[in-house]
Amino acid sequence: MDREIVERVARAAHIALTEEEFNKYSKDLSEILDYFKLLDEAPDFDGSGVNPVEVADVLREDESSIRINPDELLKDMNTYENYVRGPRLS
Amino acid sequence: MKTESTLSSLPRVNAKYSMFNDFLKDGVDDGSKFLFSAKDNLTSKDFETCSGSRILEGYHPVFNATAISKMISAGGKLIGKTNMDEFGFGTFSTNSGFGIPKNPFDLERSCGGSSGGSACAAAVLEDHVSLGVSTGGSICCPASFCGVYGIVPTYGRVSRYGLIDYGNSLDKIGLLSSKASDLAKYLPVIAGKDAMDPTSCVQPELKIEKRRIDNIAIPKEAIEGLSKDVAQTFNNAIETLQGMGIETKMIDMPALKYAMPAYYVLATSEASTNLARYVGMRYGHQDGDLSMKFDEYFTSFRSKYFGDEAKRRILLGTYTRMAGFRDRYYAKALKVRMYVIDAYKQILKDNDAILAPTMPFVAPRFDEISKMTPVESYKADYLTVPANLAGTPHMSVPCGYDPNGMPIGMQFVTDHWHEDLLLTMAEQWDKSFEMRKAEVSI
Repeated sequence: MDREIVERVARAAHIALTEEEFNKYSKDLSEILDYFKLLDEAPDFDGSGVNPVEVADVLREDESSIRINPDELLKDMNTYENYVRGPRLS
Repeated sequence: MKTESTLSSLPRVNAKYSMFNDFLKDGVDDGSKFLFSAKDNLTSKDFETCSGSRILEGYHPVFNATAISKMISAGGKLIGKTNMDEFGFGTFSTNSGFGIPKNPFDLERSCGGSSGGSACAAAVLEDHVSLGVSTGGSICCPASFCGVYGIVPTYGRVSRYGLIDYGNSLDKIGLLSSKASDLAKYLPVIAGKDAMDPTSCVQPELKIEKRRIDNIAIPKEAIEGLSKDVAQTFNNAIETLQGMGIETKMIDMPALKYAMPAYYVLATSEASTNLARYVGMRYGHQDGDLSMKFDEYFTSFRSKYFGDEAKRRILLGTYTRMAGFRDRYYAKALKVRMYVIDAYKQILKDNDAILAPTMPFVAPRFDEISKMTPVESYKADYLTVPANLAGTPHMSVPCGYDPNGMPIGMQFVTDHWHEDLLLTMAEQWDKSFEMRKAEVSI
Protein backbone atom coordinates (compact mmCIF):
# COMPACT_ATOMS: atom_id res chain seq x y z
CA MET A 1 0.00 0.00 0.00
CA ASP A 2 1.33 3.46 -0.92
CA ARG A 3 2.95 5.30 1.92
CA GLU A 4 1.01 8.40 0.94
CA ILE A 5 -2.35 6.62 1.33
CA VAL A 6 -1.51 5.16 4.74
CA GLU A 7 -0.41 8.63 5.88
CA ARG A 8 -3.67 10.12 4.62
CA VAL A 9 -5.73 7.44 6.40
CA ALA A 10 -3.84 7.87 9.69
CA ARG A 11 -4.27 11.64 9.53
CA ALA A 12 -8.01 11.32 8.88
CA ALA A 13 -8.29 8.84 11.78
CA HIS A 14 -6.33 11.11 14.14
CA ILE A 15 -3.73 8.46 14.89
CA ALA A 16 -0.02 9.23 14.90
CA LEU A 17 2.06 6.23 13.85
CA THR A 18 5.65 5.48 14.81
CA GLU A 19 7.85 4.27 11.96
CA GLU A 20 7.55 0.71 13.29
CA GLU A 21 3.73 0.93 13.46
CA PHE A 22 3.66 2.49 10.03
CA ASN A 23 5.49 -0.48 8.50
CA LYS A 24 3.43 -3.02 10.44
CA TYR A 25 0.01 -1.55 9.59
CA SER A 26 0.96 -0.95 5.92
CA LYS A 27 1.76 -4.64 5.60
CA ASP A 28 -1.31 -5.78 7.57
CA LEU A 29 -3.68 -3.52 5.64
CA SER A 30 -2.31 -4.76 2.31
CA GLU A 31 -2.87 -8.37 3.36
CA ILE A 32 -6.37 -7.65 4.66
CA LEU A 33 -7.37 -5.70 1.53
CA ASP A 34 -6.01 -8.53 -0.59
CA TYR A 35 -8.42 -10.81 1.22
CA PHE A 36 -11.27 -8.32 0.68
CA LYS A 37 -10.82 -8.72 -3.10
CA LEU A 38 -13.17 -11.67 -2.71
CA LEU A 39 -15.96 -9.07 -2.57
CA ASP A 40 -15.32 -8.19 -6.22
CA GLU A 41 -16.43 -11.72 -7.16
CA ALA A 42 -19.67 -11.58 -5.15
CA PRO A 43 -22.85 -11.36 -7.24
CA ASP A 44 -24.19 -7.85 -7.67
CA PHE A 45 -27.29 -8.43 -5.56
CA ASP A 46 -30.14 -6.07 -6.17
CA GLY A 47 -30.82 -4.27 -2.92
CA SER A 48 -28.93 -2.70 -0.11
CA GLY A 49 -29.76 -1.13 3.22
CA VAL A 50 -27.84 -0.24 6.32
CA ASN A 51 -29.65 -2.59 8.70
CA PRO A 52 -30.09 -6.36 8.60
CA VAL A 53 -33.78 -6.11 9.55
CA GLU A 54 -36.31 -3.51 8.55
CA VAL A 55 -36.20 -0.54 10.87
CA ALA A 56 -39.30 1.65 11.06
CA ASP A 57 -39.18 5.37 11.61
CA VAL A 58 -40.29 6.19 15.09
CA LEU A 59 -40.67 9.90 14.64
CA ARG A 60 -42.59 11.88 17.22
CA GLU A 61 -43.07 15.49 18.20
CA ASP A 62 -40.17 16.99 20.11
CA GLU A 63 -40.74 17.28 23.83
CA SER A 64 -38.36 18.88 26.24
CA SER A 65 -37.21 16.68 29.08
CA ILE A 66 -34.16 16.04 31.19
CA ARG A 67 -33.48 12.33 31.41
CA ILE A 68 -30.06 12.61 32.95
CA ASN A 69 -29.12 15.50 35.18
CA PRO A 70 -26.39 17.49 33.37
CA ASP A 71 -24.62 18.09 36.69
CA GLU A 72 -24.18 14.33 37.02
CA LEU A 73 -22.65 14.14 33.55
CA LEU A 74 -20.28 17.02 34.27
CA LYS A 75 -18.85 15.29 37.35
CA ASP A 76 -16.70 13.01 35.20
CA MET A 77 -15.59 15.75 32.84
CA ASN A 78 -12.83 18.30 32.89
CA THR A 79 -14.85 21.52 33.33
CA TYR A 80 -14.46 25.23 33.91
CA GLU A 81 -17.52 27.15 35.18
CA ASN A 82 -19.74 24.27 33.98
CA TYR A 83 -18.27 24.27 30.48
CA VAL A 84 -16.43 21.23 29.19
CA ARG A 85 -12.82 22.15 28.64
CA GLY A 86 -11.18 21.31 25.36
CA PRO A 87 -8.06 22.18 23.39
CA ARG A 88 -7.57 25.30 21.26
CA LEU A 89 -9.43 25.45 17.98
CA SER A 90 -6.56 27.04 16.08
CA MET B 1 -25.68 -19.48 51.29
CA LYS B 2 -24.66 -20.23 47.74
CA THR B 3 -24.89 -16.53 46.90
CA GLU B 4 -22.76 -15.67 49.91
CA SER B 5 -20.04 -18.15 48.97
CA THR B 6 -20.00 -16.99 45.34
CA LEU B 7 -19.67 -13.36 46.41
CA SER B 8 -16.90 -14.07 48.89
CA SER B 9 -14.98 -16.14 46.34
CA LEU B 10 -14.89 -13.44 43.65
CA PRO B 11 -11.47 -11.92 44.52
CA ARG B 12 -9.80 -15.35 44.50
CA VAL B 13 -11.61 -16.54 41.40
CA ASN B 14 -10.77 -13.37 39.51
CA ALA B 15 -7.11 -13.54 40.57
CA LYS B 16 -6.95 -16.94 38.91
CA TYR B 17 -9.02 -16.36 35.75
CA SER B 18 -9.03 -12.55 35.16
CA MET B 19 -12.62 -12.70 33.96
CA PHE B 20 -13.62 -9.32 35.44
CA ASN B 21 -12.51 -5.80 34.75
CA ASP B 22 -14.35 -4.55 37.85
CA PHE B 23 -16.35 -6.60 40.36
CA LEU B 24 -17.99 -6.48 43.80
CA LYS B 25 -15.12 -6.66 46.29
CA ASP B 26 -17.23 -7.05 49.44
CA GLY B 27 -20.70 -7.93 48.24
CA VAL B 28 -23.21 -9.36 50.68
CA ASP B 29 -26.26 -11.51 50.06
CA ASP B 30 -29.09 -9.00 50.08
CA GLY B 31 -31.78 -11.45 49.09
CA SER B 32 -31.48 -10.94 45.33
CA LYS B 33 -33.06 -13.69 43.23
CA PHE B 34 -29.97 -14.32 41.11
CA LEU B 35 -26.47 -13.06 40.41
CA PHE B 36 -25.35 -11.93 36.97
CA SER B 37 -22.42 -10.27 35.30
CA ALA B 38 -22.27 -8.09 32.20
CA LYS B 39 -19.71 -7.52 29.49
CA ASP B 40 -17.77 -4.35 30.12
CA ASN B 41 -19.14 -2.56 27.05
CA LEU B 42 -22.53 -2.24 28.78
CA THR B 43 -22.77 0.90 30.89
CA SER B 44 -23.28 0.41 34.62
CA LYS B 45 -23.78 2.96 37.37
CA ASP B 46 -22.02 0.93 40.04
CA PHE B 47 -18.91 -0.15 38.15
CA GLU B 48 -16.25 1.49 36.06
CA THR B 49 -16.98 0.81 32.36
CA CYS B 50 -14.04 0.62 29.97
CA SER B 51 -15.08 -1.66 27.09
CA GLY B 52 -11.64 -3.26 27.40
CA SER B 53 -9.95 0.00 26.40
CA ARG B 54 -7.38 2.08 28.29
CA ILE B 55 -8.82 5.19 26.65
CA LEU B 56 -11.95 4.79 28.83
CA GLU B 57 -10.08 4.10 32.08
CA GLY B 58 -11.82 5.90 34.94
CA TYR B 59 -15.17 6.23 33.12
CA HIS B 60 -18.10 5.96 35.53
CA PRO B 61 -21.38 6.04 33.57
CA VAL B 62 -24.34 7.76 35.19
CA PHE B 63 -26.85 5.23 33.91
CA ASN B 64 -27.33 1.49 33.48
CA ALA B 65 -27.73 -0.02 30.02
CA THR B 66 -31.33 -1.13 29.40
CA ALA B 67 -30.36 -4.82 29.47
CA ILE B 68 -28.71 -4.38 32.89
CA SER B 69 -31.66 -2.36 34.25
CA LYS B 70 -34.05 -5.10 33.12
CA MET B 71 -32.01 -7.84 34.81
CA ILE B 72 -31.91 -5.80 38.03
CA SER B 73 -35.68 -5.16 37.84
CA ALA B 74 -36.20 -8.92 37.52
CA GLY B 75 -34.43 -9.38 40.87
CA GLY B 76 -30.84 -9.79 39.69
CA LYS B 77 -27.69 -8.48 41.33
CA LEU B 78 -24.90 -7.28 39.04
CA ILE B 79 -21.65 -8.64 40.50
CA GLY B 80 -19.12 -7.49 37.94
CA LYS B 81 -18.15 -6.31 34.49
CA THR B 82 -16.47 -8.93 32.39
CA ASN B 83 -13.17 -8.67 30.57
CA MET B 84 -13.20 -8.41 26.79
CA ASP B 85 -11.21 -7.53 23.71
CA GLU B 86 -10.90 -3.76 23.37
CA PHE B 87 -14.30 -2.51 22.04
CA GLY B 88 -15.00 -6.13 20.98
CA PHE B 89 -12.10 -6.24 18.52
CA GLY B 90 -10.92 -9.83 18.72
CA THR B 91 -11.56 -13.56 18.74
CA PHE B 92 -9.49 -14.55 21.78
CA SER B 93 -9.91 -11.76 24.40
CA THR B 94 -6.15 -11.19 24.10
CA ASN B 95 -6.72 -7.59 22.91
CA SER B 96 -7.90 -6.30 26.30
CA GLY B 97 -6.22 -3.35 27.98
CA PHE B 98 -6.78 -5.05 31.36
CA GLY B 99 -5.25 -8.52 31.35
CA ILE B 100 -6.38 -11.66 29.56
CA PRO B 101 -9.13 -14.00 30.81
CA LYS B 102 -8.00 -17.64 31.10
CA ASN B 103 -9.88 -20.68 29.89
CA PRO B 104 -11.25 -22.61 32.89
CA PHE B 105 -10.44 -25.95 31.19
CA ASP B 106 -6.78 -25.02 30.60
CA LEU B 107 -5.23 -21.81 31.90
CA GLU B 108 -2.74 -21.76 29.01
CA ARG B 109 -5.59 -21.35 26.55
CA SER B 110 -7.94 -18.58 25.46
CA CYS B 111 -11.55 -18.18 26.60
CA GLY B 112 -12.39 -16.98 23.11
CA GLY B 113 -13.64 -13.53 22.40
CA SER B 114 -14.67 -10.99 22.54
CA SER B 115 -17.07 -11.83 25.43
CA GLY B 116 -14.32 -14.05 26.93
CA GLY B 117 -14.80 -12.91 30.52
CA SER B 118 -18.55 -13.58 30.30
CA ALA B 119 -18.01 -17.15 29.05
CA CYS B 120 -15.41 -17.74 31.76
CA ALA B 121 -17.75 -16.43 34.48
CA ALA B 122 -20.59 -18.62 33.12
CA ALA B 123 -18.32 -21.68 33.20
CA VAL B 124 -16.72 -21.07 36.60
CA LEU B 125 -19.34 -19.46 38.85
CA GLU B 126 -22.22 -21.50 40.15
CA ASP B 127 -25.73 -20.67 38.89
CA HIS B 128 -24.45 -17.74 36.90
CA VAL B 129 -25.78 -15.97 33.83
CA SER B 130 -23.78 -13.34 31.99
CA LEU B 131 -24.79 -10.67 29.50
CA GLY B 132 -22.57 -10.82 26.43
CA VAL B 133 -22.48 -8.83 23.21
CA SER B 134 -21.91 -10.21 19.72
CA THR B 135 -20.93 -8.23 16.66
CA GLY B 136 -19.31 -10.97 14.57
CA GLY B 137 -19.20 -14.03 16.82
CA SER B 138 -18.33 -12.63 20.23
CA ILE B 139 -20.86 -14.72 22.18
CA CYS B 140 -20.81 -18.07 20.36
CA CYS B 141 -17.02 -18.27 20.02
CA PRO B 142 -16.30 -17.95 23.76
CA ALA B 143 -19.34 -20.10 24.61
CA SER B 144 -17.83 -22.83 22.42
CA PHE B 145 -14.30 -22.49 23.85
CA CYS B 146 -15.53 -22.49 27.47
CA GLY B 147 -18.14 -25.24 27.05
CA VAL B 148 -21.26 -23.20 27.89
CA TYR B 149 -24.49 -22.20 26.13
CA GLY B 150 -24.57 -18.85 24.35
CA ILE B 151 -27.47 -17.22 22.54
CA VAL B 152 -27.48 -14.21 20.23
CA PRO B 153 -31.02 -12.99 19.48
CA THR B 154 -32.16 -11.28 16.28
CA TYR B 155 -30.63 -7.86 15.62
CA GLY B 156 -32.96 -5.39 17.38
CA ARG B 157 -34.49 -7.91 19.82
CA VAL B 158 -32.64 -6.45 22.82
CA SER B 159 -32.25 -2.70 23.20
CA ARG B 160 -28.73 -1.43 22.63
CA TYR B 161 -29.27 1.62 24.85
CA GLY B 162 -26.19 1.85 27.04
CA LEU B 163 -24.11 -0.42 24.82
CA ILE B 164 -20.81 1.13 23.82
CA ASP B 165 -21.02 0.79 20.05
CA TYR B 166 -18.67 -1.27 17.93
CA GLY B 167 -20.77 -1.65 14.75
CA ASN B 168 -24.29 -0.28 15.15
CA SER B 169 -25.82 -2.42 12.41
CA LEU B 170 -24.23 -5.58 13.83
CA ASP B 171 -24.16 -5.31 17.65
CA LYS B 172 -26.49 -7.64 19.55
CA ILE B 173 -26.81 -8.29 23.29
CA GLY B 174 -27.29 -11.92 24.35
CA LEU B 175 -26.70 -14.42 27.14
CA LEU B 176 -24.16 -17.00 28.27
CA SER B 177 -24.77 -19.68 30.89
CA SER B 178 -23.80 -23.23 31.74
CA LYS B 179 -27.52 -23.95 32.23
CA ALA B 180 -29.54 -24.41 29.04
CA SER B 181 -32.74 -23.40 30.84
CA ASP B 182 -31.26 -19.98 31.67
CA LEU B 183 -31.56 -18.91 28.04
CA ALA B 184 -35.36 -19.28 28.04
CA LYS B 185 -35.51 -17.82 31.53
CA TYR B 186 -33.58 -14.60 30.86
CA LEU B 187 -34.04 -13.82 27.15
CA PRO B 188 -37.64 -12.65 27.75
CA VAL B 189 -36.29 -10.48 30.59
CA ILE B 190 -33.88 -8.48 28.39
CA ALA B 191 -35.90 -8.53 25.13
CA GLY B 192 -38.49 -5.96 24.12
CA LYS B 193 -39.10 -2.56 22.63
CA ASP B 194 -37.27 0.41 24.11
CA ALA B 195 -37.89 3.94 22.90
CA MET B 196 -34.22 4.71 23.64
CA ASP B 197 -33.18 2.36 20.80
CA PRO B 198 -35.39 2.75 17.70
CA THR B 199 -33.96 -0.43 16.14
CA SER B 200 -35.65 -2.39 18.95
CA CYS B 201 -39.07 -0.92 18.16
CA VAL B 202 -40.09 -3.02 15.14
CA GLN B 203 -39.77 -6.41 16.77
CA PRO B 204 -42.65 -8.84 16.97
CA GLU B 205 -43.32 -10.16 20.47
CA LEU B 206 -40.96 -12.89 21.70
CA LYS B 207 -43.37 -15.79 22.13
CA ILE B 208 -42.16 -18.84 24.01
CA GLU B 209 -44.33 -21.52 22.44
CA LYS B 210 -41.91 -24.46 22.74
CA ARG B 211 -41.80 -24.86 18.97
CA ARG B 212 -39.31 -27.56 17.99
CA ILE B 213 -36.69 -27.78 15.29
CA ASP B 214 -37.71 -30.75 13.12
CA ASN B 215 -35.26 -30.44 10.27
CA ILE B 216 -31.79 -29.02 9.93
CA ALA B 217 -29.67 -28.01 6.94
CA ILE B 218 -25.87 -28.30 7.16
CA PRO B 219 -23.92 -26.20 4.63
CA LYS B 220 -21.09 -28.12 2.94
CA GLU B 221 -19.05 -24.91 2.94
CA ALA B 222 -19.21 -24.77 6.75
CA ILE B 223 -17.59 -28.13 7.35
CA GLU B 224 -14.46 -27.44 5.33
CA GLY B 225 -11.27 -26.58 7.19
CA LEU B 226 -12.27 -28.11 10.52
CA SER B 227 -9.77 -29.69 12.87
CA LYS B 228 -10.02 -33.49 13.08
CA ASP B 229 -11.47 -33.44 16.59
CA VAL B 230 -14.10 -30.81 15.76
CA ALA B 231 -15.15 -32.71 12.60
CA GLN B 232 -15.44 -36.01 14.51
CA THR B 233 -17.34 -34.49 17.42
CA PHE B 234 -19.68 -32.64 15.07
CA ASN B 235 -20.46 -35.87 13.18
CA ASN B 236 -21.29 -37.59 16.45
CA ALA B 237 -23.57 -34.69 17.40
CA ILE B 238 -25.43 -35.00 14.09
CA GLU B 239 -26.08 -38.67 14.88
CA THR B 240 -27.41 -37.69 18.30
CA LEU B 241 -29.75 -35.15 16.69
CA GLN B 242 -30.96 -37.79 14.24
CA GLY B 243 -31.56 -40.09 17.20
CA MET B 244 -33.76 -37.34 18.66
CA GLY B 245 -35.94 -37.61 15.54
CA ILE B 246 -34.53 -34.56 13.80
CA GLU B 247 -34.00 -34.74 10.04
CA THR B 248 -30.64 -33.50 8.77
CA LYS B 249 -29.42 -32.85 5.26
CA MET B 250 -26.37 -31.38 3.54
CA ILE B 251 -26.88 -28.28 1.40
CA ASP B 252 -24.86 -25.83 -0.68
CA MET B 253 -24.64 -22.27 0.63
CA PRO B 254 -22.17 -20.48 -1.66
CA ALA B 255 -23.06 -17.06 -0.19
CA LEU B 256 -21.20 -17.97 3.01
CA LYS B 257 -17.76 -17.31 1.56
CA TYR B 258 -18.55 -13.63 0.93
CA ALA B 259 -19.80 -13.00 4.46
CA MET B 260 -16.35 -12.62 6.03
CA PRO B 261 -14.97 -9.78 3.89
CA ALA B 262 -18.38 -8.03 3.87
CA TYR B 263 -18.53 -8.27 7.64
CA TYR B 264 -15.04 -6.90 8.24
CA VAL B 265 -15.67 -3.98 5.87
CA LEU B 266 -18.94 -3.02 7.57
CA ALA B 267 -17.72 -3.67 11.11
CA THR B 268 -14.52 -1.64 10.74
CA SER B 269 -16.27 1.15 8.81
CA GLU B 270 -18.82 1.55 11.58
CA ALA B 271 -16.18 1.15 14.31
CA SER B 272 -13.96 3.85 12.83
CA THR B 273 -16.80 6.38 13.02
CA ASN B 274 -17.99 5.23 16.46
CA LEU B 275 -14.51 5.52 17.93
CA ALA B 276 -14.14 9.09 16.66
CA ARG B 277 -15.74 10.21 19.94
CA TYR B 278 -12.73 9.14 22.03
CA VAL B 279 -10.53 12.21 22.00
CA GLY B 280 -9.59 12.88 25.63
CA MET B 281 -12.71 14.88 26.42
CA ARG B 282 -15.89 13.81 28.23
CA TYR B 283 -14.94 10.16 28.95
CA GLY B 284 -11.99 8.35 30.50
CA HIS B 285 -8.53 9.92 30.36
CA GLN B 286 -8.69 13.72 30.08
CA ASP B 287 -5.29 14.76 31.38
CA GLY B 288 -3.79 16.30 28.24
CA ASP B 289 -2.21 19.70 27.68
CA LEU B 290 -5.09 21.99 26.74
CA SER B 291 -2.76 24.52 25.15
CA MET B 292 -2.27 22.07 22.28
CA LYS B 293 -4.16 22.57 19.03
CA PHE B 294 -7.25 20.35 18.88
CA ASP B 295 -5.92 18.07 16.12
CA GLU B 296 -2.72 17.43 18.08
CA TYR B 297 -4.62 17.02 21.34
CA PHE B 298 -7.06 14.44 19.94
CA THR B 299 -4.31 12.59 18.11
CA SER B 300 -2.12 12.39 21.20
CA PHE B 301 -4.82 10.63 23.25
CA ARG B 302 -5.85 8.24 20.53
CA SER B 303 -2.27 7.28 19.71
CA LYS B 304 -1.38 6.75 23.36
CA TYR B 305 -4.41 4.85 24.64
CA PHE B 306 -5.85 2.82 21.75
CA GLY B 307 -4.42 -0.70 21.55
CA ASP B 308 -2.86 -2.34 18.53
CA GLU B 309 -6.00 -4.00 17.10
CA ALA B 310 -8.13 -0.89 17.70
CA LYS B 311 -5.66 1.17 15.66
CA ARG B 312 -5.62 -1.46 12.90
CA ARG B 313 -9.42 -1.54 12.64
CA ILE B 314 -9.78 2.24 12.78
CA LEU B 315 -7.27 2.60 9.93
CA LEU B 316 -8.98 -0.13 7.92
CA GLY B 317 -12.46 1.30 8.43
CA THR B 318 -11.31 4.80 7.61
CA TYR B 319 -9.77 3.52 4.38
CA THR B 320 -12.84 1.56 3.22
CA ARG B 321 -15.07 4.63 3.68
CA MET B 322 -12.75 7.05 1.91
CA ALA B 323 -13.71 8.79 -1.33
CA GLY B 324 -12.44 6.62 -4.16
CA PHE B 325 -12.65 3.35 -2.20
CA ARG B 326 -16.12 3.58 -0.70
CA ASP B 327 -18.05 2.02 -3.58
CA ARG B 328 -15.68 -0.88 -3.94
CA TYR B 329 -15.75 -1.77 -0.25
CA TYR B 330 -18.49 -0.23 1.89
CA ALA B 331 -21.26 0.01 -0.73
CA LYS B 332 -20.47 -3.47 -2.06
CA ALA B 333 -20.44 -4.94 1.46
CA LEU B 334 -23.96 -3.57 2.08
CA LYS B 335 -25.18 -5.38 -1.04
CA VAL B 336 -23.39 -8.58 -0.04
CA ARG B 337 -25.11 -8.48 3.35
CA MET B 338 -28.50 -8.46 1.58
CA TYR B 339 -27.31 -11.35 -0.60
CA VAL B 340 -26.31 -13.36 2.49
CA ILE B 341 -29.63 -12.57 4.22
CA ASP B 342 -31.48 -13.72 1.10
CA ALA B 343 -29.48 -16.98 1.10
CA TYR B 344 -30.50 -17.61 4.73
CA LYS B 345 -34.16 -16.82 3.97
CA GLN B 346 -34.23 -19.21 1.01
CA ILE B 347 -32.79 -22.10 3.03
CA LEU B 348 -34.90 -21.38 6.10
CA LYS B 349 -38.10 -21.54 4.02
CA ASP B 350 -37.74 -25.33 3.91
CA ASN B 351 -35.61 -25.92 7.00
CA ASP B 352 -36.14 -24.90 10.61
CA ALA B 353 -32.46 -24.28 11.29
CA ILE B 354 -28.98 -24.26 9.81
CA LEU B 355 -26.27 -26.07 11.75
CA ALA B 356 -22.45 -26.04 11.74
CA PRO B 357 -19.67 -26.29 14.29
CA THR B 358 -19.26 -22.98 16.14
CA MET B 359 -15.48 -22.73 15.76
CA PRO B 360 -13.18 -24.71 13.45
CA PHE B 361 -10.86 -25.67 16.35
CA VAL B 362 -10.79 -25.87 20.15
CA ALA B 363 -9.53 -22.95 22.24
CA PRO B 364 -5.96 -22.29 21.07
CA ARG B 365 -3.00 -21.79 23.43
CA PHE B 366 -1.76 -18.23 23.94
CA ASP B 367 1.58 -19.05 22.29
CA GLU B 368 -0.31 -20.21 19.17
CA ILE B 369 -2.43 -17.04 19.12
CA SER B 370 0.63 -14.78 19.31
CA LYS B 371 1.91 -16.28 16.05
CA MET B 372 -1.30 -15.63 14.08
CA THR B 373 -1.42 -12.82 11.50
CA PRO B 374 -4.46 -10.48 11.55
CA VAL B 375 -5.95 -12.23 8.49
CA GLU B 376 -5.50 -15.68 10.08
CA SER B 377 -7.17 -14.44 13.22
CA TYR B 378 -10.09 -12.87 11.29
CA LYS B 379 -10.56 -16.09 9.30
CA ALA B 380 -11.05 -18.06 12.53
CA ASP B 381 -14.50 -16.41 12.67
CA TYR B 382 -15.73 -17.83 9.35
CA LEU B 383 -18.42 -19.96 10.98
CA THR B 384 -19.79 -17.33 13.36
CA VAL B 385 -19.64 -14.24 11.13
CA PRO B 386 -22.37 -15.06 8.56
CA ALA B 387 -25.31 -15.23 10.99
CA ASN B 388 -24.03 -12.09 12.72
CA LEU B 389 -23.83 -10.24 9.42
CA ALA B 390 -27.38 -11.34 8.60
CA GLY B 391 -28.72 -10.42 12.06
CA THR B 392 -30.30 -13.88 12.34
CA PRO B 393 -30.61 -15.42 15.83
CA HIS B 394 -28.11 -18.14 16.65
CA MET B 395 -26.95 -20.25 19.57
CA SER B 396 -23.87 -22.24 20.45
CA VAL B 397 -24.36 -25.39 22.52
CA PRO B 398 -21.59 -27.59 23.90
CA CYS B 399 -21.49 -30.84 21.91
CA GLY B 400 -18.32 -32.68 22.97
CA TYR B 401 -14.70 -32.58 24.13
CA ASP B 402 -11.38 -33.24 22.41
CA PRO B 403 -8.89 -35.81 23.84
CA ASN B 404 -7.41 -33.06 26.06
CA GLY B 405 -10.83 -32.35 27.49
CA MET B 406 -11.27 -29.03 25.66
CA PRO B 407 -14.91 -28.19 24.87
CA ILE B 408 -16.33 -28.14 21.33
CA GLY B 409 -19.54 -26.31 20.37
CA MET B 410 -22.04 -26.33 17.53
CA GLN B 411 -24.14 -23.44 16.33
CA PHE B 412 -27.80 -23.38 15.28
CA VAL B 413 -29.15 -20.49 13.18
CA THR B 414 -32.86 -19.74 12.67
CA ASP B 415 -34.75 -17.09 10.74
CA HIS B 416 -35.16 -13.53 12.06
CA TRP B 417 -37.31 -13.39 15.24
CA HIS B 418 -37.47 -17.21 15.62
CA GLU B 419 -35.52 -17.45 18.89
CA ASP B 420 -38.20 -19.75 20.31
CA LEU B 421 -36.89 -22.64 18.19
CA LEU B 422 -33.41 -22.16 19.65
CA LEU B 423 -34.65 -22.03 23.22
CA THR B 424 -36.54 -25.31 22.81
CA MET B 425 -33.50 -26.90 21.17
CA ALA B 426 -31.27 -25.85 24.09
CA GLU B 427 -33.51 -27.64 26.56
CA GLN B 428 -33.89 -30.73 24.35
CA TRP B 429 -30.14 -30.94 23.72
CA ASP B 430 -29.35 -30.51 27.39
CA LYS B 431 -31.28 -33.72 28.15
CA SER B 432 -29.17 -35.81 25.77
CA PHE B 433 -25.76 -34.27 26.38
CA GLU B 434 -23.46 -34.98 29.27
CA MET B 435 -21.94 -31.63 30.08
CA ARG B 436 -18.62 -31.40 31.89
CA LYS B 437 -17.85 -28.65 34.35
CA ALA B 438 -14.36 -27.22 34.45
CA GLU B 439 -12.47 -28.23 37.56
CA VAL B 440 -12.24 -25.07 39.59
CA SER B 441 -9.77 -25.04 42.45
CA ILE B 442 -8.98 -21.76 44.14
